[in-house]
Amino acid sequence: MRNETEDLQQLEKLRKEIFLTSYRAGTGHLASAYSSLEILYTLYIKRCIHVTPQSIQDADRDKLILSKGHGSLALYCVLAEAGFFPKEELKKFAQPGGILGGEPHKLEVPGVEATTGSLGHGLSLGAGMAYADQLDKRTSRTYVILGDGECEEGSIWEAAMAAAKYKLDHLVAILDYNRIQKMSAVEETIGITSWDEKWKAFGWEVTHVPGHDVKKLCECFENITYQGKPHIIVADTIKGHGVSVMENNPVWHWKQPNRKELRIIAAELEITQEELEDAKSIH
Amino acid sequence: MQKAYINTMYQLMSKNPDVMLLMADSGTAYDKMLMEDFPKQYVNVGIAEENLIGMAAGMAAGGKIPFVFSNGAFLAYRGFEFIRDDVCLQKNNVKLIGMGSGLSISTLGPSHHTTEDIGVLRTLPGLKILSPATPRELEAVMKYACEYHGPVYIRMGMGGECEFHADEDICFDGKNVEFLSGEDICIFCTGSILEEVYRAIELVKEQGCHPALVNVVALKPFDEVRVVDYANRYKKFLTVEEHNIHGGLGSILAEVIAEKHLAVELKVLGLNDCFAGGYGTQKQLRKINGLDAMSIAKQILEMVCYE
Repeated sequence: MRNETEDLQQLEKLRKEIFLTSYRAGTGHLASAYSSLEILYTLYIKRCIHVTPQSIQDADRDKLILSKGHGSLALYCVLAEAGFFPKEELKKFAQPGGILGGEPHKLEVPGVEATTGSLGHGLSLGAGMAYADQLDKRTSRTYVILGDGECEEGSIWEAAMAAAKYKLDHLVAILDYNRIQKMSAVEETIGITSWDEKWKAFGWEVTHVPGHDVKKLCECFENITYQGKPHIIVADTIKGHGVSVMENNPVWHWKQPNRKELRIIAAELEITQEELEDAKSIH
Repeated sequence: MQKAYINTMYQLMSKNPDVMLLMADSGTAYDKMLMEDFPKQYVNVGIAEENLIGMAAGMAAGGKIPFVFSNGAFLAYRGFEFIRDDVCLQKNNVKLIGMGSGLSISTLGPSHHTTEDIGVLRTLPGLKILSPATPRELEAVMKYACEYHGPVYIRMGMGGECEFHADEDICFDGKNVEFLSGEDICIFCTGSILEEVYRAIELVKEQGCHPALVNVVALKPFDEVRVVDYANRYKKFLTVEEHNIHGGLGSILAEVIAEKHLAVELKVLGLNDCFAGGYGTQKQLRKINGLDAMSIAKQILEMVCYE
């Protein structure tokens, strides 16, 4: 119980950090970051993924690709919290002299395994990494976080077929199933999604998990077994989770708050007036 | 070329278990031989060029040396963003072999012609573009690519290319070699069209014209220093390529001439900002599109006689 309370407190702190990082820069995909936050928190802070700042060069480390690169704010704040780079770097998000861009770049950010941004690339990259691990008999896992809107990209399904064919059972995709993409709902955009049936039909092992429940996410990662099939964890999430004005509202795909919204967000995330002023005075 | 590719690939894969060969259902019966002898190093992802390149990039990140073999048109056009974002932007050690360069897939029409690949791929930072003209050059270039750490695109013909090198073992060092020295004009060509240019030179020699010939294997990075030297010796340049006149070898030379303030006359011979017309053998297609030995010879003589 104490652990769960601590998790909630830490997640609130991270939500605040994510907001201030974006607010300072005046840019960022906030709602997408809030959708994936607990997934990344469970992996890096609850140590479900086997990689540390000290092991990022080890061949047998676990790897994670944020294929939905828009979620970068969550990844950065979690990686900084886990010690992959100094938190000071967050203050230079999307600013000259900083290493943290709107989309994560492998060659600049410690702990980032692949440069992403254009959708539909991460699963192929992950399949290639998992193939190399399988060939060299390493037991490490490759995690790939996909957006549900992202699954409209054809290349996702090219990679899905190849991963199943090559029995890449150490490849673990996590579908951030928040049902919303840039302009509207995913189902409104592309019709019936039926992700479970689709991924099963492509030869994947499908598991469901409430995507904001750290304990359930932990169990889910721990319970993965290797049966010759790649895994996809369909994580039920809410785009903008934890911030009332952003939740389930496509407008927040790439937006900064107006004054009224700022008051609400500040109250919910316990951000003081001083912190807001401080964030804006940094440049 | 096919034979040289298979033999070299066989050597590279048997010497180093990290060398991988990736296909998008794009091989031949010979590639199946590689599959049988190196089942783990051989990957066929199906007809899926985007995933082909993305997976290769992932394997490279995992320490492998992936060679990707597919039609150059499908790699360069369909796969462009994957080459850009996954290979070049992340500096992944991927070797792309674009086969069927130029008009070599001559019966299927422009969908299968690789006549804009240099133009589009040349814009990508950090991608070496190599264009061997003969089987021995291909072998040398593949061995070089395997040793070099970084992204490489190899433009490979498949039209039964002749061998112009007497030495069995040639070494590629990134330089573009003057095949023939001459007097009146310097011709630059790249890839399989070397044989047409050679024949054109024989034709104009009969008329008393003696062109020099530079076989351009390294399109990027391009050996600019030597071009300055050639410009000092020859006042006229003619470029010949199975490629659109925009963005390819002719454009590369034009850029060097402008940047280095070289006082030379330049004529660019290729597809005149069009898709290649007609069907037939590669030779017939070259003729239809003004890229056969006779057409090239005519251009040479026009340039030389224009004093």
